[in-house]
Amino acid sequence: MPVTPPRSLTELFLGFLSIGARSFGGVMPWAHRVIVEERRWMSPEEFTATIGLCQFLPGPNVGNASIVLGKKWFGLKGSIVAFAGFFGLPFVWVLTLAWLYSDFATQPGVKPVVIGVAAAGAGLFIGTAIKLAKPIARKPAALVVIAGCFIAVGIGRVSMLIVIPVALLISYFLARRGLL
Amino acid sequence: MSLLLELGLYFSVLSLLSVGGMPSVIPEMHRYVVESRGWISHTDFVEMFALGQAAPGPNVLISSLIGWKIAGVPGAVVTLAAMCGPAAVLSYWVAGVWERLQGTPWRALAQRAMAPMVVGLIGSGGFVLATPGGAVDWRLWLIAAASAWVMVATKLNPLWMLAGGAIAGAILL
Repeated sequence: MPVTPPRSLTELFLGFLSIGARSFGGVMPWAHRVIVEERRWMSPEEFTATIGLCQFLPGPNVGNASIVLGKKWFGLKGSIVAFAGFFGLPFVWVLTLAWLYSDFATQPGVKPVVIGVAAAGAGLFIGTAIKLAKPIARKPAALVVIAGCFIAVGIGRVSMLIVIPVALLISYFLARRGLL
Repeated sequence: MSLLLELGLYFSVLSLLSVGGMPSVIPEMHRYVVESRGWISHTDFVEMFALGQAAPGPNVLISSLIGWKIAGVPGAVVTLAAMCGPAAVLSYWVAGVWERLQGTPWRALAQRAMAPMVVGLIGSGGFVLATPGGAVDWRLWLIAAASAWVMVATKLNPLWMLAGGAIAGAILL
């Protein structure tokens, strides 16, 4: 199946707009659907490689992908257009929702529902952590780093400004010795 | 003005620390805006988190909701720009370098070194959100555990777990 990069900035903008606008319950599946399946801007392999980079970099994955892909196709202009297309609608919607909610929050019965949603969202984080841990859990050193980060950040509430540099340094040496 | 400046600077630092995306910095964000600065309460934080999870769009928008709660619409704009900006500049700059590193041992090494840390940070995020002020509420843990289990065991859209959380919240809380 032939892939054709977007021909114009308008096409790029509309593609990322449709990713942002439809991404209920997670952005990544929609990014894949629009970029690879609907618009066929790139092959699945290229898409996976780009996402691999964006997961490695700090920042929102698909937000970074909009920067990387926009640059690849149209340079700096492309990055700005793709980023604006991606964030535009969700930003407006989420603020509208929050504004409506602030009127609505005092109604009896609303808070428990929202707190329940947040607890389920917390569970999604834990589920994500478990899924990511599966392929690396055979290595004892990996389990030690996972536990160390969890105890320091989750329970000890130590600042990440301290934990991240220390953890990266230790992990780097462990990885070089083939322990990770 | 000084509040907006502080928000902007702090979220810019978070932006560069957010390896693994938004979930990794949730515990740090909570530590700072709730525990250290006391700008908003734990409940405010959790409510904004829930709205951000349930709304369509990238979950980095949770930071703009936190900013909105602290400093209104200007706060929302500043936190989102600060949360995305430095990471975006880095992505723009690194994109070319990364392509060239494809297949080199250094790249595989960096990815292996980062994975366990990201797992620990995301797990901490889930723990902090489900454990208000360090106090264990078995009902919140039950909802979180059920949602985590469904996520690991099935390929359901996460919106179903959030809907389940809403129903469980209405019944249990």
